[in-house]
Amino acid sequence: MEAGGPSKSGTISLPMQVFLLVIRSLTTLLRTPEALLPPIAISIFFLVIYQSTLGKAASFIPGIGGSYLGFILPLSIVSGSLSGSGIAAQNLVRDIERGYFDKLLLTPVRRAALLLAPILAGAVILGLQAAIVVSVGLLLGLKPVTGLPGLLAVIGLGVLLGIGFAGFTVSAALGSGSAAATQGASFLFFPLTFLAPTFVPLSLLSGWLEVAAKVNPITYVLEAMRSLLNTGWDAKAIGTSILACLILAAAMYALAAFALSVRVRRS
Amino acid sequence: MSDREIVVEELVKTYPGKVKAVQGVDFRVEAGRIFGFLGPNGAGKSTTIKILTTLALPTSGRVTVGGYDVVSQATQVRRVAGVALQDVGIDPLMKSMELLVLQGRLYGASKTDATARARELLELVQLSDAVSRRAGTYSGGMRRRLDLAMALVHQPKILFLDEPTTGLDPASRRDIWREVRRLNRELGITIFLTTQYLEEADELADNVAIIVGGKIVAEGSPARLKASMGEESINLVFDSPDLAEKGRQTLDRMGDRIQLDRDTVRLYLSKAAGSIPAVINQLQGAGLAPISLTLTQPTLDDVFLQVTGQRLVASEVIQTKSNRAPRRAEAK
Repeated sequence: MEAGGPSKSGTISLPMQVFLLVIRSLTTLLRTPEALLPPIAISIFFLVIYQSTLGKAASFIPGIGGSYLGFILPLSIVSGSLSGSGIAAQNLVRDIERGYFDKLLLTPVRRAALLLAPILAGAVILGLQAAIVVSVGLLLGLKPVTGLPGLLAVIGLGVLLGIGFAGFTVSAALGSGSAAATQGASFLFFPLTFLAPTFVPLSLLSGWLEVAAKVNPITYVLEAMRSLLNTGWDAKAIGTSILACLILAAAMYALAAFALSVRVRRS
Repeated sequence: MSDREIVVEELVKTYPGKVKAVQGVDFRVEAGRIFGFLGPNGAGKSTTIKILTTLALPTSGRVTVGGYDVVSQATQVRRVAGVALQDVGIDPLMKSMELLVLQGRLYGASKTDATARARELLELVQLSDAVSRRAGTYSGGMRRRLDLAMALVHQPKILFLDEPTTGLDPASRRDIWREVRRLNRELGITIFLTTQYLEEADELADNVAIIVGGKIVAEGSPARLKASMGEESINLVFDSPDLAEKGRQTLDRMGDRIQLDRDTVRLYLSKAAGSIPAVINQLQGAGLAPISLTLTQPTLDDVFLQVTGQRLVASEVIQTKSNRAPRRAEAK
């Protein structure tokens, strides 16, 4: 056996491990286009529907602050973040069901890499998805007040939010090892999109809905995205939304780490 | 030397609900040998191999692989051991090169080295032609060979194979056997394999341990085990099980042991060839004429039957009683 074998240390750095596993995830994801297209199609569909049905009527709602398209496009991106977050988790579940995950566990790969890889692969997919939705918005006549940088920030926020959701679906995948349960978990966050200033501004929500909206990270992301598209750079809104996303991501990552430790615990 | 050895001392594994999967197993696999665990489903083979490969913990006992303790030094064990389990764990959407290169890189090889090693391994397991196809398109035999290649990426000193040819067609089985023998002969890899095929244990293993109900009931080289069962046998096939039963009764005291298996009587005795005339005479005297008579050397099948009172049928264990109680076997 002449060819070189493993390195002397027998493994590679964590970032490199994550990178290799993310590339692998993306490669296999792109080989199942039937899994990628529906979330994108749904996002575009809803965007077009909301704009055509509510667009003209919405000009009567106070507090929209500009075009309704700019108001509603963030919802499309957020919905995309939700439905797309399940994709990487489905990949993970497939690995678990096929036994490939167990094989990876026997290698020197670090646990953090096993968690970060599906989450980050999902983030890449979400970014692409958000970019497509934004492009469609531009075609429909969106005129973002903050221009291209603002659009990139909107996409960035969508990805950041999606990372949190991906952490949750990855937890479900690791905890259940079942594709059906993971799919179900993706839908659990769905109601969250409506406990927010989804169709109308926050100021018009009252009672329990207002309370729920105020603790919902989606609220802050929607507001930040809307300000970027309709009013201008709002540091407070953007800062709050980033914080909300980071808190969500950290909490979900912790949950995923717990689910992984239960799964790998030897008995 | 101990870096290629497996030592198991008083291994016990009890699952919740008091299920005793392994009840005090002891054995030692010396460097560079092939050791076979032979037994039916549920005997404790898979449980044992999971413990040896650090996928499960023993309830008690001491297990070292390559000199490392499987409980406290699992990471080191995983570095020196290669594992190919019964459920071939590959991603069907990936191509074989991709799987092998990723595996190599995770173990620290550079992309160039990992690619070269992957090519080498694919050549070794004769999968070079299927390189550009996704693993999901491979046949069962091809997947097993790919699994074997994956287990070898990090140049392990000890290889664990859990039922390596179960479910494969005869040609694929022979391919795998050839690869296993070659790995052992050319690379000196110590191999621990579990199997429910007598033939496989006979073909591959330097030493065999027969495990039933979580305990080792016999151990030794195939040759020694067969020799210890003593004898050759004269096999007589009759027209019907009833006639065979009559034949059994007639010949009962002629050899060391006698077995009835549906329409076949097997008479175990030494210097069998010389006893054929006497056997025929005895049968003629009782008005019996067998439709065929053959002489066979002892096989592991006999060893298994002798030691466990059961015939080992892949994925089934059938109860057979020999000698006194003339109960017929359901199937062979």
